[in-house]
Amino acid sequence: MADTLTIAPPRKEAPLVTGNLGISEITQLVSYHTEKKPPSTWYLAFAISSTLLAMLMVMIGYLFWNGVGVWGNNNPVGWGWPIVNFVFWVGIGHAGTLISAILFLFRQRWRTAINRSAEAMTLFAVICALLFPTIHVGRVWVIYWTLPLPNQMEMWPQFKSPLLWDVFAVSVYFTVSLVFWYVGLIPDLGTLRDRARTAIRRKVTAFFALGWTGANRHWRNYEKTYLLLAALATPLVLSVHSVVSFDFAVSIVPGWHTTIFPPYFVAGAIFSGFAMVMTLLIIARKVYGIRNIITLDHLEKMAIIILVTGTMVGFAYITEFFIAWYSQVEYEQYAFLNRTTGPYAWAYWTMMSCNLLFPQFFWIKRLRRSIPFLFVTSIVVNVGMWFERFVITVISLHRDFLPSSWDYFNPTLVDVLTLVGSFGLFLTLFLIFLRFLPMVAMAEVKMVLPEADPHHYEEHEN
Amino acid sequence: MLRNIIRDVKASMGIYKSRDDRVYGLLAEFEHPGALLEAARKVRAAGYRHFDSHSPFPIHGMDKAMGLGQSKVGYITLGGGLTGLALATWLQWWTSAVDYPINISGKPFFAIEPSIPVMFELTVLFSALAAVGGMLLLNGLPRPYNPLFYSRNFARVTDDAYFLHVAASDGRFSLDGTRALLEEAHALGVEVIHDHGFSQLHA
Amino acid sequence: MAQKLQSSPILVKLLDTVEPTQSSALAAYRWTGSVRAFLIPALLGLSALAVSIAVGFAGFKEQFYFSYLVGWSFCLSLALGALFVVLIKHLTKASWVVALRRIPEALAASFPLLALLAIPIIISLFDDHGLYHHWSTDGISDPASSHYDEIVAGKAAYLNKPFFLIRVGFYFIVWTLVSSKLWSLSLRQDLTADPGIPAKQRKVSGWGLPLVAVTTAFGSFDLLMSLDPHWFSTIFGVYFFSGAFMAAFAFIALVCMFLQRGGMLQGIVTKEHYHDLGKLMFAFVVFWAYIAFSQYMLYWYGGIPEETVWFKHRLEHGWETHSAILLIAHFILPFLLLLPRSVKRVAPLLGIMAVWLLVMQWFDHHWLAMPVLHYEEATLHWLDLSCWIGLTAVFVSAFVWRLSRHALVPQGDPRLAASLRFENT
Repeated sequence: MADTLTIAPPRKEAPLVTGNLGISEITQLVSYHTEKKPPSTWYLAFAISSTLLAMLMVMIGYLFWNGVGVWGNNNPVGWGWPIVNFVFWVGIGHAGTLISAILFLFRQRWRTAINRSAEAMTLFAVICALLFPTIHVGRVWVIYWTLPLPNQMEMWPQFKSPLLWDVFAVSVYFTVSLVFWYVGLIPDLGTLRDRARTAIRRKVTAFFALGWTGANRHWRNYEKTYLLLAALATPLVLSVHSVVSFDFAVSIVPGWHTTIFPPYFVAGAIFSGFAMVMTLLIIARKVYGIRNIITLDHLEKMAIIILVTGTMVGFAYITEFFIAWYSQVEYEQYAFLNRTTGPYAWAYWTMMSCNLLFPQFFWIKRLRRSIPFLFVTSIVVNVGMWFERFVITVISLHRDFLPSSWDYFNPTLVDVLTLVGSFGLFLTLFLIFLRFLPMVAMAEVKMVLPEADPHHYEEHEN
Repeated sequence: MLRNIIRDVKASMGIYKSRDDRVYGLLAEFEHPGALLEAARKVRAAGYRHFDSHSPFPIHGMDKAMGLGQSKVGYITLGGGLTGLALATWLQWWTSAVDYPINISGKPFFAIEPSIPVMFELTVLFSALAAVGGMLLLNGLPRPYNPLFYSRNFARVTDDAYFLHVAASDGRFSLDGTRALLEEAHALGVEVIHDHGFSQLHA
Repeated sequence: MAQKLQSSPILVKLLDTVEPTQSSALAAYRWTGSVRAFLIPALLGLSALAVSIAVGFAGFKEQFYFSYLVGWSFCLSLALGALFVVLIKHLTKASWVVALRRIPEALAASFPLLALLAIPIIISLFDDHGLYHHWSTDGISDPASSHYDEIVAGKAAYLNKPFFLIRVGFYFIVWTLVSSKLWSLSLRQDLTADPGIPAKQRKVSGWGLPLVAVTTAFGSFDLLMSLDPHWFSTIFGVYFFSGAFMAAFAFIALVCMFLQRGGMLQGIVTKEHYHDLGKLMFAFVVFWAYIAFSQYMLYWYGGIPEETVWFKHRLEHGWETHSAILLIAHFILPFLLLLPRSVKRVAPLLGIMAVWLLVMQWFDHHWLAMPVLHYEEATLHWLDLSCWIGLTAVFVSAFVWRLSRHALVPQGDPRLAASLRFENT
C-alpha cells in the first residue's frame, strides 16, 4: 500500500556498515582483537599512559602527605584546578550515555557502531571525575562523611548542600552507566564465551555472560530493559551536569548565579564528550582497522553534533553576557567585564574561540569529512571546554565582593602533573578495555544490517 | 497444581525439564531470520508452547510469532522507582528535620526545593537496578548450565546461526513428529539434545 | 505533473503565501472536510475578538491588553513550536514524522497572520497604561521625572520603543522567511518530487535553526520577560521554548485526530505515530518541569530580593493557587497519565491529554504575564478567555484553511514510504 501513496521513489538509505561486511565477519572483526596480541601501537600507548598513571599516583601520595597547600588554591580561589578538572571530566563522561540512551530513544541507528566504546569512555571519565572532589576535600580519610552512614558523631550529611547532591548524582550516574554498559555487553560476552579456545577464557567469559543463549524469551525482556534503561539514563544524564552546575549556580557569586546554567552545562558536556569520543575513535579505527564499522559517516554525524552543541554553548555565553548587562546588577556586570578584559581575559578569549568559533568550520562539508581536521578540532574543543570551567571557577572567584582579598591564581607543578596524570588514568583504563572487551556492540551492529530484518528475505524471494 | 505453575513459570524463562531418558529437546537450525520467524509461527500454530528461538540479535516480529505478550519488566521498574522516591524523601526529611535539625542559612529544616535532586537520583538508581534485576529474574539468569550447550553447533548462536529449540517437556513433543514438523519448516538440520548435567559438559 | 508554485495575491498572502496545489494531490491525501471546518472557527473567533476589543477599549483597557497578549503569545508559541519541529525534523532526517509533517509546516506558516494580530500589542506600547508601561512610560529614565526608575533607566538602551519595534519586526521577518521557505519547498516537493529538495530543506534548516532559536529567546525576553523590567532570568528563553515545543506536539496530535474523524488520513497516520507524539509530549512535559525547576530553585536558593520578588508575586494573593495548579496540572498529573503505553496509543485518551496540555500552555503564559497587572489579587477575567478563544479560533481557522488548500501529506518526500510503514519497537 505504501508504494501507491507516494509519488517519489523511496530513498535508499546509505548503509550503516560499509565494505559489505556480513554478520559473521562482524563477529570475527570485533572479537578477534580481544583474542590475539594487540598491535605494537597498543603497547606503546599503554607504556605511556601507565607511566602517566604512576605519576598521578605519586602526585596524589604527595598531596596526601602534605595537604592541599601543594596546589595553587589560595584565599579567594578556594576551588582551583581540582574542581576545574572535576567538571571537565564529568562533562566528558556525558557523551557515552547520550549516545547509548538519547540516540537510542530517537532511533538513530548509526549509534550502534560507537556506543560501546563511548560508554566505556564515560565510565572511565567519571572515575577520573570522582577522583578530584575526593582528593579536594583535604581530609580524605573521612570522605565517608559524604554518605548518609550512621557515625560516632550522630550527624548526617547536609542534604541542602549541592555538593552532597553531587555525591549522589555522580555516583548514581556511575552505577547506572556501569549497569547499562554491562547489560549491553551480555550478548557479546556470550559471543566471546562461544569462541573461547582455552578453559580459563571460557570460564571467565561464561561467568560474565550469565548463560546467555540468545533466546527470544530473553531478548524480549532484555530489549524492554534496554529501552527502560535508556529512558532512565536520558533524564539522568541531564541531571548530572545540571547538579554539577547547581554547585555553582545556587551560590550568589556573580557569574555563577544564573538560571541558564543547568541546560548550558549539559550542552557543554555533550559538546566536550563528543569531542573526546571523536579523538579516541579516530585513533582506534585506524589502529584496529575497523573503518568499515566506524565509518566516515559516523564521524561526520558527530561533527554535526559538535557544531550544534558548540553553537548552543556559544549562545549561552552570549545570553549570560547580555543578561548580566540587562540585570543592572553592578556585581554581575563587573564579573563579565572582568572576564573579557581582566587579568584572565586570555582564558576567556581562548574559551570563546575554541568553543564558539572553531566548531563553526563544520558548516563546511569538506571539513566535516577531513580526518585530520576532525582530529584537530576534537582536541581544540576539549582545550576550550577545559578553559570554560577554568573561566567559570577561577575568574569568578579571584575577584569576589571584597576587593581587599582579590588575588591572582597560579597553578603549581603539582596541579599540572595531576591533570596530566588523570589523562594517564583515563587512557590506561581505556586501553585495557580495548584489549579485553569487544569495542563495538556486535549484537547491535548486526541488528542494523539489512540481513537482520526477516522481511529482507521475502523481498529477495519475490 | 503448584508444580504446574512452577513448571510454566520456568518455561517462560526458557528452563525446561528433560525427559526421563535425558532427552531435553530438538534443536533445529535455520538458514536466516526470515526462515526462523516462519518456523516459529508454524510450531506455535501446531500447538507447541515449550519452544524458543535463539538468534545472535533480537528478531523483529518474533514475539508475535511465538505468541508472547508485552514484557513485565516495566512494572518491576516502576516499583523500584517508587521505592527509591519514598526512601529519598524519608531519608532527607528524617535526617535534616527530625534526627539532627540544623539551621543552614536560615533555610527551612526540610523543604521540597533542595530535596528534589536527591529524590530524583535515588528514583533513577532504584528504577535502573530494579529493571536489570527484574530482567534477570524473568529470564532465569544467571544460568551457568544449559543442556543446549551440549550441541557444538549451538556455539554459533552468538555469531550468525538461527535455532529453534522445541523442549521435550511440551505435551505435544515426540521425537519423530516434532522432527517432521521442523523439517517441514525448512530446517537445515535437526539435532536431539540430551541433558547429561553440568559436570559432563566440558569433560 | 511538474507544475510551478504560484504566489498568492497580496491579501491572501497573510494567510497562505502559496496558491492552492490541492488539485495535484493524490486522492488519499486530499482535504475532504467541509468548509465549516474553518468557517465556524473563523466566525466564532472574529466575533469573540470583536466583542473583546470593543469592550476592552471601552472600559477594560489594561485588562484587555494583558488578556490579549496571553492569547496571542499562546498562538505564537504554537507557531514557533511547530517551526522548531519542522527544522529539527529536517536536520535529523527523522523519517517517522514525514507523514505528519504538513501539519507543523502549515502551522508554522502563520507568522504573517500573527504579525497582523499583533496590532493591539503595538497600540498598547504607545499607551501610558499599556503592557510595557513599566519601561515605556515617558520620563522613566529622566532623573527629574516622578516616573524615574534607576534600574530601568540603565536598560534604556535596550528597552525603548523604537528599538523594541525594530527587534520584534526583525524576529517576525526571520520567522516568516524561514517558515515560508520551508513551506514552499515542501509544496514544490508535492508537485515535482524533485530528489534535490530534501537537501535544500536541510540547508534552510541549517542556517534557520540557530537564527530561529536566538530570535525566539530574545522574543520571549522582549514580549514576556520585559513586562516586569526589573526581573531577569537567563533561562527564560529556554522556558518559553520548552512549553512551545510541548504544545506543538499536542496540537499536531489533535489535528491528526480531527482529520481522521473527518475521514482523512485513514491508514496513513497510525497508532504508531500517535505513540511517538505521546512520547514527545511526555518528554517535553518533563523537560518543561526541569527548566521551570532550575529557574525556580536557583532563585529560591540564592534568595536575592531582586530575583525572588518575581516568584513572590506569583506565590501570594491567590497566585499561589495558580502556581500550585501549574505544578500539578502542567507536570505531575500529565507525567503520571502519559506514562502508560496505552494512553499514548489510544487516540481519544491521547486527545484528552493534548487538549489538557494546550490549556496548560495557555495557563502557563497567563501565569507569566498576568501577575504583573494584578499582583495584588489573583484573577481570571472573562476577557482572558474571550481573547484566548477568539485569537486561537482565528489562528486555527486560518491554519485549517491553509491545510485544506494542499495535500495533507508531503507526498513527494522520498522518506514518506518509510514513515507510512513505521512501527514502534
